[in-house]
Amino acid sequence: MSAGWAVRWLPPVGSLVVLTGLAEVAIRVGRVSPLLLPPPSAVLAVAVSESPALLSASSGTAIAVLVGLGLSAVVGVTIAVGLSTSRFIERAFYPYAIFFQVVPIVAIAPLLVIWFGYGIRAVIASAFIVSIFPVIANTLAGLLSVDPALRDLFRIYRAGPVDTLFRLRLPAALPDVLTGLRVASGLAVIGAIVGEFVGGGGLGVVILGAMREQRTDLVFAAVGYASLLGLALFGLASLASHLSLRRWHASEKELG
Amino acid sequence: MALRLSGVTRIFRPTHGDAVPVLEPIDLEVGRGEFLAVLGPSGCGKSTLLRIIAGLDRPTAGTIGWLEQGTTGEAEEARSIAYVFQDAHLLPWRSVLRNVTLPLELAGGGRAEAESIARATLEQVGLEEAVDRYPAELSGGMRMRVSLARALVVRPRLLLLDEPFAALDEITRQELDDQLRTLWLANGMTVIFVTHSTNEATFLAARALVLSMRPARICLDHRIELPTDRNASLRADPRFAAQAGILYQALLSGNRR
Amino acid sequence: MTHATWPGSRRHSLVLSLVLVLAAAWVGCRHQDRDRLEIALNWKPEPEFGGIFEALHDRIFEANGLDIELSGGPGAPVIQMVVAGRTAFGIASADEVVIARARGSDVVALFATYQTSPQGLMAHAERGFDSLAALLAAPGILAVEPGLPYVKFLGSRYDLSHREVVPYSYSIAAFLTDPELAQQVFVTAEPIAARRAGAHPQVFLVAESGYNPYTAVLIARGDRVRDDRGRVTALQAALREGWRRYLDDPSAANAWIAEQNPEMDRESLTLAAAAQVPLIKTDATRRDGLGSMTPERWSTLAEQLKAIGVIGEVEEPTRYFIQPGS
Repeated sequence: MSAGWAVRWLPPVGSLVVLTGLAEVAIRVGRVSPLLLPPPSAVLAVAVSESPALLSASSGTAIAVLVGLGLSAVVGVTIAVGLSTSRFIERAFYPYAIFFQVVPIVAIAPLLVIWFGYGIRAVIASAFIVSIFPVIANTLAGLLSVDPALRDLFRIYRAGPVDTLFRLRLPAALPDVLTGLRVASGLAVIGAIVGEFVGGGGLGVVILGAMREQRTDLVFAAVGYASLLGLALFGLASLASHLSLRRWHASEKELG
Repeated sequence: MALRLSGVTRIFRPTHGDAVPVLEPIDLEVGRGEFLAVLGPSGCGKSTLLRIIAGLDRPTAGTIGWLEQGTTGEAEEARSIAYVFQDAHLLPWRSVLRNVTLPLELAGGGRAEAESIARATLEQVGLEEAVDRYPAELSGGMRMRVSLARALVVRPRLLLLDEPFAALDEITRQELDDQLRTLWLANGMTVIFVTHSTNEATFLAARALVLSMRPARICLDHRIELPTDRNASLRADPRFAAQAGILYQALLSGNRR
Repeated sequence: MTHATWPGSRRHSLVLSLVLVLAAAWVGCRHQDRDRLEIALNWKPEPEFGGIFEALHDRIFEANGLDIELSGGPGAPVIQMVVAGRTAFGIASADEVVIARARGSDVVALFATYQTSPQGLMAHAERGFDSLAALLAAPGILAVEPGLPYVKFLGSRYDLSHREVVPYSYSIAAFLTDPELAQQVFVTAEPIAARRAGAHPQVFLVAESGYNPYTAVLIARGDRVRDDRGRVTALQAALREGWRRYLDDPSAANAWIAEQNPEMDRESLTLAAAAQVPLIKTDATRRDGLGSMTPERWSTLAEQLKAIGVIGEVEEPTRYFIQPGS
């Protein structure tokens, strides 16, 4: 454990401690109003003292994020497969996929609440909309960059389109799908929180309420919990990537 | 399987630029069970010819006919052709065993049956110890042997190879040449082997075609005058050098046009 | 008569004078910028700021020696802007002032536009509620802004467990489509819009429950009040005069507001201006003047906020405000 573990974890944790310490000193010496920027110690104190409420809120957000992300994965891969069937279809319909990327979720969220009602469904929809594009884009790139010689091989064996999709194209695209999911996981958290601003529940409401109550330290603490949620998801996606790719893909083999 | 090419030509028409004629009208007959080597300078079109025979490409003009007693049609032929590329092109996410079972899976065979046939084929190429390894863990030579096994697992009537051993070192290459010839003698399929090595062609083949520069035509169609029973020591034999020399001369003159 | 061309010396003095004039103008502009004072609003231009617009439009600020610029809008963090010194003055509500002070920021109230808070809850009249308590006791969605102190107050007074509490997003769309939905309103705004959309809203003021902070309050940072007392006093006086004229006749300022805020049409402006009069002009203001405040009201508010756990300690009530005209 010791050597490799230290090399892996010391740099990020160490830099976090140093930067936090510097921020603490700077904020206190500079007499910055806690209304504008609370010192890290205050944020940490609130994160601990309010942890029951924050954990409860986080679990609400986490559920919406997981469902939204799951939907992104399934629907996103399906759409990418559809787009990859022909150049014409790709050119005709890819712009609509880009729409998911550029639509300002803050403007769409109220519409989502009108369509899905208040509560978790609108939040899931928001997380889904914001996170689906990276899945589509990366999966499509993976599907289109399959080794042409392997495609020839499948043609020689007269493999049908279904066989080719499930035995060749999707496994070949798996590294790209997982990359897309890694990017999507952080976006899903953002989408969920914006959805909660309008639809209610989770960390979104905690953040709104804390702002209104002028509890800036609680705002930061809630944002911290949201970041941890995003990090956890990113870690999960990376773990999935490692487990499924480690025997054969260059990206995982280097990390060992 | 025997096949006949009549007047096969191929012209590439890119979206930008002029048309490029790659194959001049080729007339060729290959007998059943023949081992045919195809030689030519780089870029002359020998790979294109092979791809056309494999069905991966269509000739611009001309026909390809198959002469097989007892065949009922295209489906039968399809299963009968196997192709080996210059790189092994294995599926990296599958183990060695599952790479070799792939053609059988695509043909709709049962899992257990496919695995036993695959194991047997891997034994033929000497890889029975490596069945659970992954391509990323294998050397170049081992990967090529897996590729060979994958080609042989369907018992092809026609085996096409496109410079399969070119990327390997000399010793491994000669080992694989030996192994290929042994497999050919054992299974009796028709083999068309593209190479740019006159030594390899001389060692392996019963008959050699030499193609000219692009657009390719047949410069030489030569029966290799060497015994059927060949082993490594043959390479030192003066007859070997003589035969190789004939092919080399034809290559040179075809190159000059 | 000599046709004088411009002799050299004359030309030089002309150029010199031009340069001096430009320099003076430039210095004057810079000087003016330092004199310009900003008031950050916490919503769009609407009758709730009618007195301010009247004062601007009628040059009442100028008459009091002030150069005023308006800024802000919906969602502007007015308290933070004032604390950070980004803006000299702002508009907030009294409970925000108490909370800010409890959090360690020195902000002071200078003018209380609404003596009665216009904060209310709106439900469909078809529900037949006869009081705020009845509305809160019924089932259905309640759309309120999370974190607003009045929500916590109502929660401490009444049982809200039947209600599904969701965030309010400043649109009456949900109200119009859901007959069971009740939502937060400013009496001068949403109910009027709902009526115009064909609904029959019934409004209950939050003040009915006893929670009644001064609203649309002019605030500034404590050090500005100490160091610039003259202009603070002048601003309070100008605001008082502006509101006096606006309450008398809002039409001129409303026309100007309509220009700044195309979403509001003349009829809505007129209705809103009329609806807010009893909230602004009360017995207290008839006694003490428009915008005036009392220590008792501040004390009550602070105790209420402490009781619901939003703040820890209350202050001496006179620290929260400076009475206009004092």
